Amino acid sequence: MSEANADDLAQAVLDTVREASAAMRLIAADEILEQLLARGVATQLPTPPEANPCLLLAAILAGLPGIAALNSLSGRPVYHDLALLSRTYARILDRKDATEVLLAEEIRSNSRDYPRPVPVELFEKTPFNLAPETIAAALKTLSCDQEFQDITSLTTAAGAVYLFSTLYLKRGYAVFLAEQEASLAGNP
Amino acid sequence: MAVRSGGFVGKVLRVDLSTGKISTEDTLERYGALLGGAGIGYRVLWDEVPAGTGPFDPANKLIFAAGLLVGTSVPCNGRTTITTIFPTCWPRPLVGSGHMGGHFAAKLKYAGYDALIVEGKADKPVWLMIRDAHVEIRDAGHVWGTGIRRTTLEISQEMGPDCVVAAIGQAGENQAPMGMVVNSVSHSAGGVGGVMGGKNLKAVAVQGSGAVRIAGDMAAWEKLIKFHLSILGGNNQHVVPSFPTPQAEYYNPASRWIGQPGKRWGAAKPPVEITGTLRDPNRIAYRTNSAAYFLGDAAWKYTVRGNGCTACPIRCHTMLKVPSVTTKYGIPDTGQNTCVALMFGRSFFTQLAGQKNSETAIEACMVGMHLADDLGLWSNYGQLQRDLRKLYEGGYLKARLGSKEYASIPWEKYDNADPAFLLDLIPRIANRQGELGEVLSRGTGAIFDHWSIPEAQWAEDHTTTYWKMGHPKHHANEDDGQCGVIINTQYNRDAQCHSHTNFVRNGLPLEVQKKLAAAIWGSPDALDAPGDYTPANVPKARRAKWSLVRKELHDALGVCNWMGPWAASPLQERGYAGDDSLESKFVSLATGQAMDREGLDQAGERIFTLHRALTIRDMGHVDMRAGHDLVPPWVFKDQNGAAPFTKGSIRMDPDDIARAMEYFYEIMGWDKKTGAPGKARYAELGLADVGEALDAAGLTPKAEK
Ligand code: SF4
Repeated sequence: MSEANADDLAQAVLDTVREASAAMRLIAADEILEQLLARGVATQLPTPPEANPCLLLAAILAGLPGIAALNSLSGRPVYHDLALLSRTYARILDRKDATEVLLAEEIRSNSRDYPRPVPVELFEKTPFNLAPETIAAALKTLSCDQEFQDITSLTTAAGAVYLFSTLYLKRGYAVFLAEQEASLAGNP
Repeated sequence: MAVRSGGFVGKVLRVDLSTGKISTEDTLERYGALLGGAGIGYRVLWDEVPAGTGPFDPANKLIFAAGLLVGTSVPCNGRTTITTIFPTCWPRPLVGSGHMGGHFAAKLKYAGYDALIVEGKADKPVWLMIRDAHVEIRDAGHVWGTGIRRTTLEISQEMGPDCVVAAIGQAGENQAPMGMVVNSVSHSAGGVGGVMGGKNLKAVAVQGSGAVRIAGDMAAWEKLIKFHLSILGGNNQHVVPSFPTPQAEYYNPASRWIGQPGKRWGAAKPPVEITGTLRDPNRIAYRTNSAAYFLGDAAWKYTVRGNGCTACPIRCHTMLKVPSVTTKYGIPDTGQNTCVALMFGRSFFTQLAGQKNSETAIEACMVGMHLADDLGLWSNYGQLQRDLRKLYEGGYLKARLGSKEYASIPWEKYDNADPAFLLDLIPRIANRQGELGEVLSRGTGAIFDHWSIPEAQWAEDHTTTYWKMGHPKHHANEDDGQCGVIINTQYNRDAQCHSHTNFVRNGLPLEVQKKLAAAIWGSPDALDAPGDYTPANVPKARRAKWSLVRKELHDALGVCNWMGPWAASPLQERGYAGDDSLESKFVSLATGQAMDREGLDQAGERIFTLHRALTIRDMGHVDMRAGHDLVPPWVFKDQNGAAPFTKGSIRMDPDDIARAMEYFYEIMGWDKKTGAPGKARYAELGLADVGEALDAAGLTPKAEK
């Protein structure tokens, strides 16, 4: 492939990822390929059995600035433009059909990174938009799953429920942080 | 600074209500080094109001000061600082200031004045009309006795459109120390309303047709404004939204950045649906909805819009329309405010105080806002409400109030958290009616004096959040460990400092905050996670100094310390850094004379040190450490008995706090034993005359002599 063609292809790949991110979609290499082919852009790419065009696309994607890869729950890498779709949001999108994992991983990352427990109502709001019953059922499932034994809850003195991961927060400190957070609106 | 400096408009207006004399003086000549705000106020008090002057003495003065950046296009620039001998400071009144937003400050500058000094006392009720160079003391007989709304309306009709009226209500007229002045019917400054009342001054109304000159390069100015807008977050400079969004890596459910596409201002006509992208500088005003933040999502449907101060895109004064309150309580269905004043009514009731999404709590807020902002009654940062709760629930009132008066108060309504209770209580206080009204109108110190209740009963009880000198804590150890404690020791009222808390609550992960801290204060250890406190250190003391100096600086520039300093930003590409030199860049461009961050911070320190000097002079002793910089006992206790530095406890250790204070005094260049500046330190800050006067009075540290 000539240098000019390679540049055109890289630009087309970039545009495809950006388009998907702008529409709040994560996109895999094979989907990118499909779109490029449909647009008649990737005709010069080698085809199987000589080479796997998706691997070539992956290599192109790895060199594109601002494009991130996420190892999706499906096991394959998916891509997004960080300026349009943050890593955090991409993770949430990827897990949106796996409620238990979505909850557990979001609770873990909050406990690990900030650190803080999160109010259960967080998951009722955008972008999660889960019904209280769905959240309750998912939490119940998590409590029975060996892999998620770190996910637990606490109730503040005023009755607000918070969720945290014992991998990253000790209960005593989580209780403090939850009480603190719940009191912020009264401590302006 | 040269006389042709931009930013300043050049004159300070002086009105003597005793003689009727109206005069002006040059701003830069006398006050240039103090910039504006409390800087001008402190200087006037230092030069002209002798120690021992009472707040209601005609010799006390009221200094309404704008700031150097007020009236420009700098975001969040509409703050007025009103400095005086502060009446709720207990056991003796000392220097203090109240602060109001809105457009009063900008109008004052457009009229040609950087500040207004009111002195003396009129022999009958008057109001002050300022229309550019035309200044007149007018009769206020027709509005005396009326509320702030009526007064504002009457005077607005008299003056014509485009004026801003700052008025007192009945609380101020009655010289209640808890009286406040309110401009544009909701932007209030606490504690100074009674001082106005004591001068028979019902209102100050301003119309200005001038402008504020920017002396520097306009293209650079515009570029800096755009940059400033790009680093703004939501209210309190919370730089991450409260919800995950495609445009942000981080979020924080506790953030005040709560507006997002899909939310609606439900009571706007027609309702406004939030759309578009969150990062759009033209949509910043959608990020903040104080009512929904404080009262819960249920408040969205009552939201009309955000209101606020000059050039502020945040609009934290949320306007609410709640039709039910008109039929139930006979009050207007629309009200607006922010923060503590928004929650004024709800906070009286233990059952409602922390309640979100409660219709009763929302109604209580509407009733409270209506009454407080019309009668002009201040809450002392919520201490009034906490005092009432403790007095009633602790049985103090039953034991101390005469039985007839006690029976006359509708306590059953209080017990049932019925907002109608406020229709009885708030006028009682504003009118200083009966023993309860009289005592509460004077502030917390009066509770101790009048009913012989030891101050310790408040100071030992964490739930009162009482700190010292008749005032509560304002973001102390619960938010920011030793840094918060140091800040709360420094003022003669609640500290009103947000520099520190805006940073610790900004919503970024601790690791990111620590990186920013290292860049600004020299070490990631300049801050801890809340409730995970490590021993005192020099970087924390450095951050405390920075916070205090920037608070004074913001008042002097007229920019909002509820937003600044802009140490962090929402911008991932900047590693979430804001710009710690932003204020000095604006000042340089406005005045046309280069001023770096250090130079401007020194001006802030000069102002802060002048406050210290006034406090020392008026207290009449130099040992600030023992007599002023006090920490209440509750800070050294834990409700569950946890030891200091236990993760999950805000309990401080007395020896550690003593060390923290020493680090702080050292960084300030003050004497460690007394916490007082010496003559040389005053001189270094351009306050040689102040240092000499205090030295001559024996009010500088002995060690120096
Ligand atoms: S944030 Fe609020 S108080 Fe501060 S300037 Fe803006 S509107 Fe005024």
